[in-house]
Amino acid sequence: MLEFVGQMIGGLIGRGGSSLSVPILDGAFKPNNLLEEAEVLLERPGLEDMALAPDGSLLAAAGAEVLAIDGDAAKLVERHDGTITALTVLRDGRRVVALGDRIVIEGQAAPLTEAGGRRFKAITALSVMADGRILVCDASARYDGDKWQYDLMTKGRSGRLLALDPAGGKDELLQNDLAWAFGAMESGNGVLLSESWRHRLRLAGRGDATGELPGYPARITPTADGGFWLSLFSGRAQIVEFVLQENSFRREMMETIDPKYWISPALSSGEDFLEPLQSGGVKHMGILKPWAPPRSYGLAVRCDANRNPLMSVHSRVGGANHGIVTTLERGSEVLALSKGAGRLLRMDLQAIRIANGITGGTA
Amino acid sequence: MNTLVKLRYRFWPDKIFGELLQKPWMETAVPLLVLLGVIAFFSARIDNFISVASMSDTLRQACELGFVVLGMSIVLIVGGIDLSVGSIYALCNLLALYCVNVLGFGMVPAVAITLVAGGLLGAVNGVLIGYLRMRAFLTTMVTLIVYKAANDMLNAKIGVEISANFPDAPAWDFLGMGTFLNIPVIVWVFGVVAIAGHIFLTRLRAGWHVLAIGGNRRSAYNTGLPVKRVVALSYVASGVFAAAAAIFYASRLASPGADTGKGMEIVVLTAAILGGIRLGGGKGSVMKAMLGTLIVLLLTNGMLRMAMSAGASRVILASILLLAALLDIRWFKNRHKAVQELYVSPGYMELPPPQTAARGSGSPYALNDKLRGVETIGLGEVEAPEDVVLDADDNLYCGNRHGDIIRFFAPDYRRQEVYAHIGGQPLGMAMTKDGTLFVCVGGMGLYRVNADRSVAKVTDETNRSLLSIIDDSRLRLADDLDIAPDGRIFFSEATVRYEMHEWPTDSLEARGNGRIICYDPRTGKTSTVLRNLVFPNGIVMASDGQSLLFAESWACRISRYWFDGPKKGTVEAIIDDLPGYPDNLNRASDGHYWLAIMGVRSPVFDLAMKRPAFRRRMSKKLPGDEWLAPNLNTGCIVKISETGEILDVMWDQGGENHPMITSMREHRGHLYIGGIHNNRIGRLKLEDVASDFVDLKVAHA
Repeated sequence: MLEFVGQMIGGLIGRGGSSLSVPILDGAFKPNNLLEEAEVLLERPGLEDMALAPDGSLLAAAGAEVLAIDGDAAKLVERHDGTITALTVLRDGRRVVALGDRIVIEGQAAPLTEAGGRRFKAITALSVMADGRILVCDASARYDGDKWQYDLMTKGRSGRLLALDPAGGKDELLQNDLAWAFGAMESGNGVLLSESWRHRLRLAGRGDATGELPGYPARITPTADGGFWLSLFSGRAQIVEFVLQENSFRREMMETIDPKYWISPALSSGEDFLEPLQSGGVKHMGILKPWAPPRSYGLAVRCDANRNPLMSVHSRVGGANHGIVTTLERGSEVLALSKGAGRLLRMDLQAIRIANGITGGTA
Repeated sequence: MNTLVKLRYRFWPDKIFGELLQKPWMETAVPLLVLLGVIAFFSARIDNFISVASMSDTLRQACELGFVVLGMSIVLIVGGIDLSVGSIYALCNLLALYCVNVLGFGMVPAVAITLVAGGLLGAVNGVLIGYLRMRAFLTTMVTLIVYKAANDMLNAKIGVEISANFPDAPAWDFLGMGTFLNIPVIVWVFGVVAIAGHIFLTRLRAGWHVLAIGGNRRSAYNTGLPVKRVVALSYVASGVFAAAAAIFYASRLASPGADTGKGMEIVVLTAAILGGIRLGGGKGSVMKAMLGTLIVLLLTNGMLRMAMSAGASRVILASILLLAALLDIRWFKNRHKAVQELYVSPGYMELPPPQTAARGSGSPYALNDKLRGVETIGLGEVEAPEDVVLDADDNLYCGNRHGDIIRFFAPDYRRQEVYAHIGGQPLGMAMTKDGTLFVCVGGMGLYRVNADRSVAKVTDETNRSLLSIIDDSRLRLADDLDIAPDGRIFFSEATVRYEMHEWPTDSLEARGNGRIICYDPRTGKTSTVLRNLVFPNGIVMASDGQSLLFAESWACRISRYWFDGPKKGTVEAIIDDLPGYPDNLNRASDGHYWLAIMGVRSPVFDLAMKRPAFRRRMSKKLPGDEWLAPNLNTGCIVKISETGEILDVMWDQGGENHPMITSMREHRGHLYIGGIHNNRIGRLKLEDVASDFVDLKVAHA
């Protein structure tokens, strides 16, 4: 009751849930340009996800193809009959591929199309648990993965996280009513998952795991020390929060304008002049200032086992390598997948440490 | 539904709220409210609180107090304080009564002597504080004690003598007790003095000096103002005003009481502060002094009639003083924030759907790379060249954001120099055959640079519209100009509501805030010819010499206005569905016109233009950097005919070489391109055009 009154007052004066402010990029999130300066291993339109096989080889999914990446050479491994939306590899080396509304496990003829009494609609991420089960993020019950903007603008909360047994055992629903589930990982104290529209990570069944992030979280991959790399597929701008509060404008925008020209985050921007522009994005003297409100942004952050952010890599406003959806750490290098640019990027872990001011020790 | 919205935003004057708040006299809002509150409170409780009978006496007291408050206000405004006003008042009261009762002087000599005496008493303060640089508080406290002691001593000597005499002096009595047209004499005198004081403080140089010295004494001294003299004279004025109040008091009551003027300085200070005159100096007005006086008097009278004890009424007065001072300071510090919140008043703008610019679509605006081959002049060296002109020798002139006119020397345009310095931000320019450069300077007005490089103002004001709250006689954003065959200069003022540095905010409003103005060099007069235009920008004379084409940026429209001939006064839109926001218009060599499009329309911005309430909430809740803006990062150049046909469109897709285009000038086979957000000028070779075309005007002196 008190909370309700507080919310109402907050709505009037702009506090709490009706606040429009976004967290600033500071501390471990202090901007750099490492993603923009990274080495490009592969450039292919439709790059969506990547995974490390247990034997150390790197697999990437682009369009309907699964590729094996060796250095900067890409070899076709297999082709599917639909666009791949997530990729992972089981302990025994079998590939698991999600094609939007179904999951294909290598070696099994029939794709899995439903679990927990409900068909899949938008599978965005797959990962493997210690006991061999597959964590499946089904982001929404209403919209496909590539209609994510509709889900954001209608404030969707129909995503779910499931644990599937590839051997055909019982499925387990780990979390329901998620505002766009876009990544999951088993961690020391539970299953961490990304809830994109709420800009935070959750522990399945246990509530929020972090505070508000300065971006929209995407897939999570583990690192050797129990920590993880979290990719954020876009930055946040206050105007998006504002439009989410403006119901009739939002409705008319959704009904009359093409989604790629909406006021919403994006995986890439700057190529089409019909995109909305904010005052801070107007160029002066030929320069677009890097701290302009972002329509798209490249960001990935490395956290420790206690979910404290340690260091981050950025591609600032005006750059090309935006829309980072998966980031992997492999030995002394960090690989990032930019869906906005269709590029696989490679950075040196030590260089990332130095750029973030972490000297010595391990992170 | 849309029509209703359109009508509501056209006719309901949203913008007056912000404009009213911005007015300087709005500072007095708090004391006025307090006064009204006091009147309302006491009128509800006391019968006949405001009635003719009680008014007369209240007014007399108010004016006597008012004189002293006026004097104290001048001292406060100059940054000092005068605690001795009560004692001066008492001494002058004694002196006036002595002159009239004992010495038998007439009214005029008595008044004169008393005023001079008050002035001398105040001059003591003035010399000590103004010339000898002693502290005002301490000095006037000392003079308070000294004058009080003098008053006591003199009273003891001559008090009885004064009370014993009853002179027959009708003129003298008339001062204190008489009325003129049913209003007491003192009110008339005070009225005249108050008006004179208001004119003095707000319109006369001497009054501005007082305000300046109070605002910042060191800066005033550095500017060369006679600080010592003005400070000293303000104490003299305080003494004279106290004496004037004493004269009326003496005439009314004829009482050399021992307690006259005791504690008066506290009441006077209370009145000044309640009225909103700041103790720090530099701000104040006659109106505030009067409001404060009225509040104090009505409060004390009201509490007296409610039979409150003296102690209680003093406590209440003190608490009201505290509250009013607090509120006034809050208002004073935060008024600009309230103005900021309320000032932006978006209007309704519905545009016809734009023609597509998609490559290969067959639309006249289809994207191309015709500007990819643009060479740059002054890359990284010139900042914000909004417009470019060339003279008969092919030298190139442009403005920059430091207020200079930069000249690039032909033929390679590598060498540059500052041709003239004007100030502001030079915008649209026109070069005449004899080398005179006319330039619209944003923030200043219409200026000219003569062939000998001297700068002269052509005009910086126009006639003020009667119904406008904003003082639109000043030119804030003179944008582009052209010269008619008879020498008249027509120029656009893009918006009257925003200054040069905040012009993009006008895009959020999209109201008819702009106008076209005509300067006639034959008569030297400037007048507004067309009003309520939506950010009028480029202007160019049409081929018939009787009309001009002008662009309205946020309306995406080019119109034609006849200023002469049979169609004089009519306005016709010739293109109203541009896919972008038009800027400058200039002549082309083949009789058509070049039009710069400084930004392109986007679906979301067009939708927002139909949602004024959305834009208003956006301007209040989001910081400026986050507001939606027209896409000024991409522009193009369009060639149009006088009847509105689109003949050619030139893009630089991706804004590689020329991100933002506000102007272009054709000269001898080349097109020179400027942009207000750029750090370069572009130069494009044109194919199939006359190679000897120059855009030079003919001007009359």
